[in-house]
Amino acid sequence: MMAPFFKYGLFGDQTSLVVAFFIGIGFGFFLERAGLASARKLMAQFYLTDLAVFKVMFTSIITAMLGLTYLSWLGWLDLSLVYLVPTYLMPQVVGGLVLGAGFVTGGYCPGTSVAATATGRVDGLVSILGITFGMFVFAEAFPLVKGFYLSGAGEAMTIPKAFGLPYGLVVFAVVLMALGGFYGAGILEKKIAARSGE
Amino acid sequence: MTPELFITRHNELVDPFVQVWSWQIPVYLFLGGLVAGMMIITGFSLVKGRYGERSCICSALPGVGLVMLSLGMLALFLDLEHKWYVWRLYTTFQPSSPMSWGAWILVLVYPVLIASWLVRPPALLEDLSQTVERASAWLQARPQAVRAMGAASLGLGVALGIYTGILLSSLGARPLWSSGILGPLFLASGLSAAAAFTHMVARNEHERIEMARLDNVALTAELGILALLMLGLFSGSAPQMAAAGLFMGGAYTAPFWVFVVALGIVMPLIIQNLAVAHRIAHTPLAPLMVMTGSLALRFVFVQAGQMSHWAHGVLGVIRH
Amino acid sequence: MTTTTGDRRPQAYTNPYLAGIGLGLVLLSSFVLVGRGLGASGAFNSVIAWAVNAVAPAHARSNEFIAGYLGDGSASPLKSWLVFEVIGVFAGAMLSGLLAGRTKVMTEKGPRVSVRMRLAMAFAGGILMAFGAALARGCTSGQALTGGALLNLGSWVFMMMVFAGAYAVAYFVRWQWR
Repeated sequence: MMAPFFKYGLFGDQTSLVVAFFIGIGFGFFLERAGLASARKLMAQFYLTDLAVFKVMFTSIITAMLGLTYLSWLGWLDLSLVYLVPTYLMPQVVGGLVLGAGFVTGGYCPGTSVAATATGRVDGLVSILGITFGMFVFAEAFPLVKGFYLSGAGEAMTIPKAFGLPYGLVVFAVVLMALGGFYGAGILEKKIAARSGE
Repeated sequence: MTPELFITRHNELVDPFVQVWSWQIPVYLFLGGLVAGMMIITGFSLVKGRYGERSCICSALPGVGLVMLSLGMLALFLDLEHKWYVWRLYTTFQPSSPMSWGAWILVLVYPVLIASWLVRPPALLEDLSQTVERASAWLQARPQAVRAMGAASLGLGVALGIYTGILLSSLGARPLWSSGILGPLFLASGLSAAAAFTHMVARNEHERIEMARLDNVALTAELGILALLMLGLFSGSAPQMAAAGLFMGGAYTAPFWVFVVALGIVMPLIIQNLAVAHRIAHTPLAPLMVMTGSLALRFVFVQAGQMSHWAHGVLGVIRH
Repeated sequence: MTTTTGDRRPQAYTNPYLAGIGLGLVLLSSFVLVGRGLGASGAFNSVIAWAVNAVAPAHARSNEFIAGYLGDGSASPLKSWLVFEVIGVFAGAMLSGLLAGRTKVMTEKGPRVSVRMRLAMAFAGGILMAFGAALARGCTSGQALTGGALLNLGSWVFMMMVFAGAYAVAYFVRWQWR
């Protein structure tokens, strides 16, 4: 049996929606467990008082990345069948900056706004309304931004492929970077706590 | 049997594949089931003699039931092809016609609902009419009669609830519906929706907790009956297995498992168990999920049933 | 909606590393089961596509961005993977919040800002995020988290830019929280 199961036809479109729902439950559950359904907890990341966002995000990235790498080395998963969002460098640079600005303005990102609403946060609900409205405006304005939206190569591109590095080496470097980041985050949090304690 | 003969009979042009019911029938079945559950709950509180208190749920529930039932009848009327001949349903009784049964059950349901409302009518209604006040006083002086009426409400509620399911299972042309267990299923679902509604609106703390418990029992029963229904279909003939397949990878898999089972039964069951155990407060959240799930169950079964066909699973004909 | 009953205090959040491992395993199971990662903003696109298509079908078809979410028109745009996943996110977060006694109807804000102002900022932030996510073809979940684990070049660039954009603007909106 080879993964991804859906791509090998183990179940159909309809069942994949049920799977999506249950995966979503896991996603929402752990987001809330970690505190990422609270704008104050999320925003603490950007005022450096609590780096939970960074820790959660990078722990899950390396967990999933290592899992994928091992499964693919064992030959149980065909990595080439896992969907990669195509890379359009410039739109993604600008999109990232705009989303980051929106994130600190609104207090949530799209996924966490849903989790926040589910736990009764009114600002989460309003954030959802804002995203929906913004998406509508973007869709209506699409002819104006289409040129920029499509600028770039638009192909599936990974870091190892782009820089000609071995996959395993990049995985290793990311893990090292994350571990260094976790260590640094711990020191930073202690320093800031000590300063605000004075 | 030669394929030609077979195809002549089980051809989708001969035995047409039709979607004749849209939103009206599911809504009617939902409201019918909801009122059935309300009658059971009202009947129970009348038999128990709870009507002595103003806060008794029996003071409000029959009135709400009357409104809901009338809305349901309106939905059913909208579905009728020949609307101006609706009165003809009452010139005959056809034992083999579920429509005829339904028409006559409803004739009994209305007076019982009205009578049980009069036992302890809301203060507003009493102020409005002297007759109501007198009728109520007359009934309250006769506990025996009230108890008998409570029993009638209970019995009719069960009958109405089962009828909402049997209406479908009497239509043998659809393999998904050809199971008598649809009666108990729709009864359990209607009772759970009614308990949820009562849980949401009850003013009496004791009754509210009791309703949450009743709802949990009804939801658990509903899960069990759904499992039995699936087992029955999967151990049936090829078309029945194909009909069950509509929920197991087929066209209605996602709505069934997500909106009916997960969000309509399992989640509210967890939330209400937490509430009953005093871990969290009682809120309208779980009841609303239960009622939505109950409505979704009717939609999914009416729509998927119309899609299920005796030619499916035979001769390799499986559409979806 | 729900408030915690008197004597029960909300539980403390799970250790971020543990929660991160849990989230990572959910993401991994998504890769293994369906061959794609998590997401959120795409669900909003589907909802918009569905709504515009319901009101003005011809207009929806003529707009390339919306048409991309309509598919061949045989199935409702709401029957999309991300829409069901986001419904799951809602249910999962609700479950976790209720179990931990953290669910409460409230607006998250600092002491010096009015609720109305905070909600206006949440709405404005939402609009910005929609633009960012649409341009980048994903948000923090679909790009940063998912693409991060896949070593997707565009996703890593996006992730760095999100942090850059957020830290750059954070100073100017700090009055919301302090």
